[in-house]
Amino acid sequence: MKHFRILIIDDEVRFADMLAKRLQLRGCDCRVCYSGKEALAQVEKETYFLILLDLHLPDIYGVEVLTKIKMINRTTPVIVLTGHGTEKDRQACMALGAYAFMHKPLSIDTFMSILEDIQEVST
Amino acid sequence: MTGKIRTALQSIRPKFRRQSEEHLNPYFTFANYNKIWLLGVVVLGLAALVPLIAVTVLHYQLIQKSVDLELVLRTERLASNARRAVTFFMEERLNALRFVANEIQYEQLANPQQLAEILRNLKLGFGGLTDLSIISHTGDQVTYAGPFKLKGLNYSDQQWFIECRKHNVYVSEIFRGYRDVPHMIVAVKSYRRDGIFFIIRATLETERLIQMLSSYETGKHADIFLINRSGIVQTPSKRYGGIFEKMTLAIPEYSEKTHALIASDHQGNPIITGYAFISLNIADTPFILMVIKEKGGMMAIWEDLHAKINWIIGLGAIVILVVIMVTCTYMVNRMLMADKTKAETLALAEQNCQLASVGQLAAGVAHEINNPLALINETAGYVKDLFTITETYSEDDELMENIESILDAVERCGRITRQLLGFARKFDIKIQKIKIKEVITDVLNFHSKEAVYRNITVNVDVPDPDLEIESDRGKLQQILLNLVNNAFQAVAEGCRLDIAARKKETETVEISIGDNGCGMSEEKLSKVFEPFFTTKELGKGTGLGLAITYGLVKKLQGEISVSSEISKGTTFTITLPLHIEEAMDDSENTTG
Repeated sequence: MKHFRILIIDDEVRFADMLAKRLQLRGCDCRVCYSGKEALAQVEKETYFLILLDLHLPDIYGVEVLTKIKMINRTTPVIVLTGHGTEKDRQACMALGAYAFMHKPLSIDTFMSILEDIQEVST
Repeated sequence: MTGKIRTALQSIRPKFRRQSEEHLNPYFTFANYNKIWLLGVVVLGLAALVPLIAVTVLHYQLIQKSVDLELVLRTERLASNARRAVTFFMEERLNALRFVANEIQYEQLANPQQLAEILRNLKLGFGGLTDLSIISHTGDQVTYAGPFKLKGLNYSDQQWFIECRKHNVYVSEIFRGYRDVPHMIVAVKSYRRDGIFFIIRATLETERLIQMLSSYETGKHADIFLINRSGIVQTPSKRYGGIFEKMTLAIPEYSEKTHALIASDHQGNPIITGYAFISLNIADTPFILMVIKEKGGMMAIWEDLHAKINWIIGLGAIVILVVIMVTCTYMVNRMLMADKTKAETLALAEQNCQLASVGQLAAGVAHEINNPLALINETAGYVKDLFTITETYSEDDELMENIESILDAVERCGRITRQLLGFARKFDIKIQKIKIKEVITDVLNFHSKEAVYRNITVNVDVPDPDLEIESDRGKLQQILLNLVNNAFQAVAEGCRLDIAARKKETETVEISIGDNGCGMSEEKLSKVFEPFFTTKELGKGTGLGLAITYGLVKKLQGEISVSSEISKGTTFTITLPLHIEEAMDDSENTTG
């Protein structure tokens, strides 16, 4: 398995950390951001294979974060992973070019298969 | 036979007496229809019958009074006529005697041949005279003319002689006398030329008097006879005592005029008594004329008419009561129907309301649960990873099994929250033309293998293969899939599933999905669309399938209903409009 560079943006610290650890166990290179601003700074600084984005962030709303990420780097696939989310959010995110709009809890195997799909598409 | 009678009785039994909508009871405005019915019948019955009965009774009394009055008047008139006749009868004979005594010389009267001649003439003129005798002032019988050999008798101590000497005229009672034949005597005092008085006496037969009285008896209910002042019957009476016996009625009080009154006889029967004290111009008599009429007999015709009127009124009252009962039954039935419709609407409204509020609650719960659930998922997953991927710890089967069960539980929770959100979600509708038959075929394809495997016959009855509606294909598919899923779960091997669709007159399409499976009780049926209600084994169903289906049908502006009978099967019927109106509000749409 390749070393995917994955950015996890979620204000649920334990969840984000745990997911990062699990992905790392599966050979991924994970970075975790707990706020929108921090995440945007990271995106500007580095390029990621995939970004996992929660909608309910303490500083900036997820949809806005997505807009800015897409402004910085249009090609990086962003998966919106949220516990709360309206149909409007879904439509907005998909319109902004999100790769998928998924809700928690998400099984790690499903996530891994999505990663493989993205990899196949990108190669 | 008895079964048929029972069925016939059941068919005429008012609907409100066989109320079976117990589950709607809290929504009924009127709880006791039997009481309302009874109240209606009693009030209307009283209002209709009381005046009728009152008028009848008053009318009866009025007629009774006027009939009584008429009877009394008629009796009085009859008594008056009879009195005149009796008076005339006696006065006529007394006057004749007076004429004889005054016009014919005593010497001539004392001559037996002459007296016999006078008797013969009197008999020719008046009849009813038996004999004539001339009595001297000493009471000795001077001359006698008649059939008996009465000579040399002295009457000086006899009552009649004393009376006649005193009052100039005498009229006796009727008596049997020496001859034992009812008769009466009349006597008139007169004077000879020398100034000494003598008495001329005549014996009268009562035959003529009795005949005359009986000629006044009109009908069999009238009885006319004479009594004396002591109440001894003088002429034959039909009912109130034999001749010379005491009359069974009370002696009336003295009255100068003819009188009539209502009384009762010795047996208590009502009678009308008319009476008159017979008094002549020239003398008083001991007679009282009695005219008795039996009221019962006189009233018979009227009573007969009254009985007929009573029958008519009775039948009328029964007809009125029947009409009132039928009207009340009709009205109360209509009331029940209106109440039932209202109760059903209320029950439905409450159910819809419950569904909506449960939906909102479900969405909230699902949202709140998802984040902690995600954390549990990742944490447990990480523990598992520690065992399986990093080999930091040696693999422990029991621990692994427990972690697997945690992950399974999380997976199941996730499924539930996703379904909950699906239930709460208001979908966007993509309207397109859909061929009903195609959708049904698509849905059945999911189950074709299962149907073959479980030997379930699926009958599809869509008479018009081109039947189209404008609706949302995805939603309709999900609705049908849910219902078919349900049906497959409800039936056993070898059972049957019927799917039918046809266009209705009201611009709608009706799709029915029926099975011949285990069916449901009425109680379960009423809760079937409620969220979290399931008939399946614990843990096998979330109880959301039909609630979501209900929401979807409503979203497609349709109606869903269900009918079921235990061990006979269940049928779901969906009615969808041919054309759907676009009016979506997705401001609160949620996805998870």
